[in-house]
Amino acid sequence: MANSSVTPSARLALRGTYKGVMKISLMLAATYLIAQGLTSYLPAADYRSLFGFSNRTAVWVIAELHLMFAAFVLGVPIFAVITEVIGSVTNEKRYDDLAKEFTKLLAMAYTLTAILGCVLLVLFFALYPKFTGYMTKLFKPTWLVYIVLIFGEVIVAYLYWYTWDLLPGTRKKWHLLLGVLVNIWGTALLFVADIWVTFMMSPAGIDDAGNLTNLWAAINNPTWMPINIHRLLANVAFGGAIVAAYGAVRFLNAKSDEERARFDWMGYVGSFIAIGAFIPLPFAGYWLGREIYQFSQQMGVSMMGGSFAWLWILQAMLIGGLFLASNFYLWLGMGRIPGAERYVKFQVPMMILLTIGFIVWATPRSIMATGTEMSAMGGSHHPFLGLFGVMAAKNTAVNLMILTTFFSFMLYRRGNRVPTVSWAAVGKITQALVIAAASCVVLGYGIYSYYVPSNIRIGFSIYQVSAVLAAMAVFVAIDIPLLKGAREIGAIRWGQIPARAQYALFFLAISFTWLMGLMGYIRSGIRQYWHVYGRVMDESNNAYTMTHGHATLIVSGITILFFLLVSIVFWMATRNDHKAATE
Amino acid sequence: MKTTFFKIFAFLLLTVSIYSYVGQLVPQFEEYPPAKQNITVSTSPTDLANIGEEIVRVKGGCLICHKVTESGNVRGPDLRQAAGKAATRKEGMGAEAYLLESITQPDVFLVPGYPKMMPSALKPPANLNLAEVKAVIAYLQTLGGIEVTVKIEASDIAAAKAAGPVHKGKGAMGTYGCVGCHKVEGEGGEVGPELTKVGATRTPEELLQKIVNPAAWTTAGYQPGIMPVEIGKSIPEGDRHEIVAYLMGLSGKTYSPTGAESPWSHEGVRLGLVILVFNIIMLAALAIANRRTKGAA
Repeated sequence: MANSSVTPSARLALRGTYKGVMKISLMLAATYLIAQGLTSYLPAADYRSLFGFSNRTAVWVIAELHLMFAAFVLGVPIFAVITEVIGSVTNEKRYDDLAKEFTKLLAMAYTLTAILGCVLLVLFFALYPKFTGYMTKLFKPTWLVYIVLIFGEVIVAYLYWYTWDLLPGTRKKWHLLLGVLVNIWGTALLFVADIWVTFMMSPAGIDDAGNLTNLWAAINNPTWMPINIHRLLANVAFGGAIVAAYGAVRFLNAKSDEERARFDWMGYVGSFIAIGAFIPLPFAGYWLGREIYQFSQQMGVSMMGGSFAWLWILQAMLIGGLFLASNFYLWLGMGRIPGAERYVKFQVPMMILLTIGFIVWATPRSIMATGTEMSAMGGSHHPFLGLFGVMAAKNTAVNLMILTTFFSFMLYRRGNRVPTVSWAAVGKITQALVIAAASCVVLGYGIYSYYVPSNIRIGFSIYQVSAVLAAMAVFVAIDIPLLKGAREIGAIRWGQIPARAQYALFFLAISFTWLMGLMGYIRSGIRQYWHVYGRVMDESNNAYTMTHGHATLIVSGITILFFLLVSIVFWMATRNDHKAATE
Repeated sequence: MKTTFFKIFAFLLLTVSIYSYVGQLVPQFEEYPPAKQNITVSTSPTDLANIGEEIVRVKGGCLICHKVTESGNVRGPDLRQAAGKAATRKEGMGAEAYLLESITQPDVFLVPGYPKMMPSALKPPANLNLAEVKAVIAYLQTLGGIEVTVKIEASDIAAAKAAGPVHKGKGAMGTYGCVGCHKVEGEGGEVGPELTKVGATRTPEELLQKIVNPAAWTTAGYQPGIMPVEIGKSIPEGDRHEIVAYLMGLSGKTYSPTGAESPWSHEGVRLGLVILVFNIIMLAALAIANRRTKGAA
């Protein structure tokens, strides 16, 4: 019977998928045996050190690396499928190739994520046995779900990769369905993992003695959904940034113009995804912050106005750097777009605006300053910026920076095109008015914020954000028909971009990674000396809040380690390409 | 390719070095968990006030919103005036009673001009006991230049809370009825021997054995065979270890209930079997696919 036969490609797909299943099975078995072996072999203790090395730092480093790889493998499939859908709808093969290029990076990254996850689990059992025992007992059903999801994710992800060329043409829809399934399983995995983390921050569903009273309440704790959404967006932004860095590496190592053009385009798409997902991230962050405050004023104040307040200045510096770098990349990219020289005149004013915004945002606020800090600043406010260092000015600055970056991208998009529709002039004026109106709303509320109490002021950020989002939506809604049938001045000269633009992409990837490490530290650190905030105390020697300098050194170490591991992923992907080319 | 790698790596080092350097520029400080305070009925007013000051600064987290010096936070009222104004805040309520209420039930009365935002000090994350709350009142009285009038009662100390599930042996002894026959820390029956200091003469292993097998040994002066076999066996393994940890702790010895779990838990083995079966099914599918491919060829 012809249809009962299996083609060699289908057999290969099945074999590849099974390899993934076998790998994860062996890893889980090894983890279980090692963890159980250590449990029975090591002398009883609540906490243990790792051969004299700090248990907290060991768990921190591995957990953060695991999280970064997990973010990458969960983020990349989201935009890989979207790119594949675009390719399928437009019938442009280059989109399908790009989506495949994205997905190619995943196989090795999955393995590294799983290995790091297994090491982390062993460390938990070995170094924090008592607390790990408590958490595993409390959340036993979720662990079972998690393991099922891991297998589901591995199967669909490997099938998605191995069936890429097996399901062309009319069967493409089945391949797209696999891609969607990868994302559904991946998102479910993320949501389950977030249960444990968020429970530790904002426990619910337990009594005063820590006994479980309601599993669903423990799962659906106050910070669970805000972190789910925040991480989902951050994963896309992070995945985009790493993919852009991969494009940059391949661009710098390219041997032909064709290869340079291909990876220039990949870097551009990656950075576009990173910045696109990055823009709504602060809003998800506001939601998370609000939930933290509602759960515990004390925790919220520690985060924003207490021990961790200075780290937000570092965050502002990083995000300011990200805005500047992404704009710099776009402006350099305009050099390869015929006709884009028309917009060069906007670059200097935009840079000034971004720089001012950066300075305002990175200025310390008075409210968190101690006596020593205030004397270091020369008063309760910054000696030069004065009242521009408060939240009213910061919110205004960041919204204007978002608007400027958006405008930069829109100019880039329009670089080589001249609208030909009859209403082009009206359309462009309307777009300018929309941007101006949003700027006025942002500035107006920024100034008004100085005259109202803080509880009213915090509500103004919603109006400012809404104005910016609305302006962006209206601008794009006009832009799409405006550029329909537009006259093209010339084709984009992909590949003809200076090497320094690729370093801007590396800067984006490094800064995103460092930022993720820093934010992870703040999120975890605000529990201070609690394993589970207010319920289960950390009684180990490491239950103190370290200095910011020490913490930032660890974050830097993690970032370097991550990129060393990522370079293995890049090297493997490149090697496979060369192998295929040789064959 | 190698040159590119080194260039990129140098760029990575430069970027993270800048970030690390800025991290060194911001104010540097470490924050430690609150020290365990030993408050007794005979703690002197001065010591009590000193302990209270430590609680206000660290465990209570009070200074996140209040101030005790000119430059502190102003989200809540100035604590320097708290004791002085306490007697005038609520009509018919004494200063000490008002301070106690404002710390343990802060929402009952709000000082005009301040929002409802303070959690009860008896609840997490401060999680103070009454003795600690009274120490805070002693500090507030000292801070306001008033004589310390607050007194510690024995019941205030008895209300001290455990840190959480890490130390739940005491509760488990109540749950499983052990204290029905045994006296521990002054409470419980007298059918069996007092267990408060049993850890001084017995090892954790002996105690664990005794719980599941009461015939293993019997304390001199007590009749064997009284302790029911079923009770001990009905106590989950983890809780048996918690009870032993608690009893050893009463004799000043540490015993960690960790490592007590069976190394071959049923769930783990069962899950492993399911994964194994799944692997076998996939291998079988692969073998069938191989055969059909060969057949087609």
